[in-house]
Amino acid sequence: MIVFSGVSLIYPTSTKTILEDLTFTVAEGELVLVMGSTGSGKSSLLRLVNGLVPHHTGGILAGDISVNGISTREVKPGGFAHLVGIVGQNPLNGFVTDIVEEELAFGMETLNFAPDVMRKRVEEVLDQLSLAHLRDRSIATLSGGEQQRVAIGSALVMHPKILVLDEPTSALDPIAAEEVLSIVHRLVHDLGLTVILSEHKLERVIQFADRIIHIKGDGQTLIGTPQEVLKSSDIAPPIIELGRALNLPDISLSVRDMRRVTENLRADLSKIDVPPAPIQTPTAREVVIVDKVSHSYGSAPALRDISLAIRAGEIVAIMGRNGAGKSSLLRAIAGILKVNRGGISVGGINPLELHGNERTKTIGFIPQEPSDLLYGQSVLAECRAADKDNRVNEGETFGLLEKFVPGISSKTHPRDLSEGQRLALALSVILSAKPKVLILDEPTRGLDYAAKNSLIATLREFAVKGCTTLVATHDVELVAELATRTIFIADGDVVADGPTIDVLLSSPAFAPQVAKIMSPAPWLRVKDVVAAVYTKR
Amino acid sequence: MSTTAGIYTFRLRSLVVLVIASTISAYCFLWPFFLNAHSSAHHLNNQIFSLVGVPAALAVLIVEISDQRLDAKSVALLGVLAALTAALRPMGAGAVGIEPMWFVLILSARVFGPSFGFILGILAMFVSAFITGGFGPWLAYQMFAAGWVGLGAGLLPQHVGRLRIRGKTEIAVLGLYGIFASLIFGLLMDLQFWPWALGSQTQLSYVPGASIAMNVHRFLIYHFASSMAWDVPRAFVTSVLTVITGPAVLFAMRRTKRRASFLTPIEFRASRSALIERVRQQREV
Repeated sequence: MIVFSGVSLIYPTSTKTILEDLTFTVAEGELVLVMGSTGSGKSSLLRLVNGLVPHHTGGILAGDISVNGISTREVKPGGFAHLVGIVGQNPLNGFVTDIVEEELAFGMETLNFAPDVMRKRVEEVLDQLSLAHLRDRSIATLSGGEQQRVAIGSALVMHPKILVLDEPTSALDPIAAEEVLSIVHRLVHDLGLTVILSEHKLERVIQFADRIIHIKGDGQTLIGTPQEVLKSSDIAPPIIELGRALNLPDISLSVRDMRRVTENLRADLSKIDVPPAPIQTPTAREVVIVDKVSHSYGSAPALRDISLAIRAGEIVAIMGRNGAGKSSLLRAIAGILKVNRGGISVGGINPLELHGNERTKTIGFIPQEPSDLLYGQSVLAECRAADKDNRVNEGETFGLLEKFVPGISSKTHPRDLSEGQRLALALSVILSAKPKVLILDEPTRGLDYAAKNSLIATLREFAVKGCTTLVATHDVELVAELATRTIFIADGDVVADGPTIDVLLSSPAFAPQVAKIMSPAPWLRVKDVVAAVYTKR
Repeated sequence: MSTTAGIYTFRLRSLVVLVIASTISAYCFLWPFFLNAHSSAHHLNNQIFSLVGVPAALAVLIVEISDQRLDAKSVALLGVLAALTAALRPMGAGAVGIEPMWFVLILSARVFGPSFGFILGILAMFVSAFITGGFGPWLAYQMFAAGWVGLGAGLLPQHVGRLRIRGKTEIAVLGLYGIFASLIFGLLMDLQFWPWALGSQTQLSYVPGASIAMNVHRFLIYHFASSMAWDVPRAFVTSVLTVITGPAVLFAMRRTKRRASFLTPIEFRASRSALIERVRQQREV
């Protein structure tokens, strides 16, 4: 279906080749995962499939790519529209209309399909993607998972043979991600659709992949079954790391397989008495106090009577479905949202009354899209402005940034940075003011494992200094690594609030992979299990 | 060697059609001065011609332009900028000619060139007519005039000798052009309206068949008396907005243009070694 032979690529303004002599064949009905760290060329590979690279970007392409027997050298991207459906990283950027049904029909309308054909195909796709009950809804009101399904649907109505998905689940909560991936999986099996997708959150996708293309930092690629590739890859999800740490002979990709393999081990481990992690009752003073807060947008309630107290030095993870009220709560604490009822105090002051310098020294807020904070025309200009605003020594912000992401080019425009670099820049700008409370909304979207680890290290260091951190996230693995306390919100209510380990273990959907494998033992991280194994020996 | 598609530019044939269409509509703007015949039948013919001529010229031009394939990236840019410009137009609530749309048109045309500026002008005017409900015989005139404003902004020189016009000089040039364009637009709109506006009785009215000098004199008095209140605020707002937003908007648009990688070379090589060889050659050059 797709044949890459000896493909190397170089972009016009760069001197570095992306992809070195890449050769592979994807058969019909295969689901292929492309993995690699940020900037390794995953998106380029995906966009090579329908010729967007190099026909839209320019560049020199060596080797040949043919899709269904047609070479991308001769045929421009438009000529692949009937063959290849492509869904970008942020589905909202691709929507043209407001209503689900109209969005699905849009592509066919532009190609002048007959109305009865359009009617039929829209119905078909509504069923395939379980969207029938959403057909009249406005796209803006849908949850992230639903939006992603609409985006996939509008690619599918054209009856493509190949579907290309660029990070389809990185913005989704675990359940919505599952929903999208299982539908993709079903399309592959029922319709023989060929799917190529890239993803950072490997733990979600490896069990569905038939093969993996791993693009390494030096442009070399490794292609093989998930077992072959993950045996030695430098990036790996927790389930693989657990397998490696326990020296298991075979690589298991799903929780079920892993539980089977570790049955004896778990039985052995259950015999030893695992001392429960010492839970320190926090004694530090309460920094953030939320008192009976309610808020609604129009008639839709977002927060219902929430009360919380968060102490200095805590790292609190706020979890819940898309649209559960996480962002509303964070925005209320940050003093951006004026709530209908209830009181909030941060360091004894109502956050709505904080202004100017006093504000930046008390609360640092990083919204879902970090570029909303960045207005400078280069990284350096941004850092200089932050130095001046926060009245710190010149160069301090840039110094912080260098620590997170060494070797960042100071002349780059902030919007041209990678997702991880942009977050690091926003974080440096905020942290240079040394706020007492740091609030992050969904920081791991689009971050690779390396960037995530550097984020975790930074936030820990910050907490040790006695600052309070609140993180809203879907990333359970991040929560397991980072948070001391987890608050679970559903439909505007606090459903669970307690030490991370208790909250995560009590919810099967939001438990990290290690916990699911080792259940009922109370371990969240690979290193917890390894530590237990060593104590046993 | 091929390249990616470029930003929209008129091909030769479109250019010829543009010149012809512009001449026709220029005549329709200026006919009151050229007409010497005394017969009212002739006068009527000219009125009809001016009502039909401009829309017809515009229609021919649009047909010619749409015959040429527009690249997806140009379409996207044109769509977004036309929507933005059109939406900004009613923002001044029509008060004394304040239409905060011209600065976007001028800055876009500066970055994306005269052909793009011309199309953006006519498109933005057309779209904004939907928003403001301003459909009428004047629409075609407005579209042409806005097209010319864009065309002119795109034609402002990028270099003087070896000196690139950038930074403060560029902003100053664009600010001055903003004043000039606003005044010219007002003048053209008055010209288009004047023969119909006052009836035939007043001292400022158009007198069919009178000498050019007399009609020009009457027109100028009419123009200054009735319209300076509209044109001066428009010129003021346009140039102030151009100067204030210019640096940031120009930067953002130039970045967009760079990112869209127009006219970037596309090459194909047989193998990796051939690619490396090619890159080495490039570096040596």
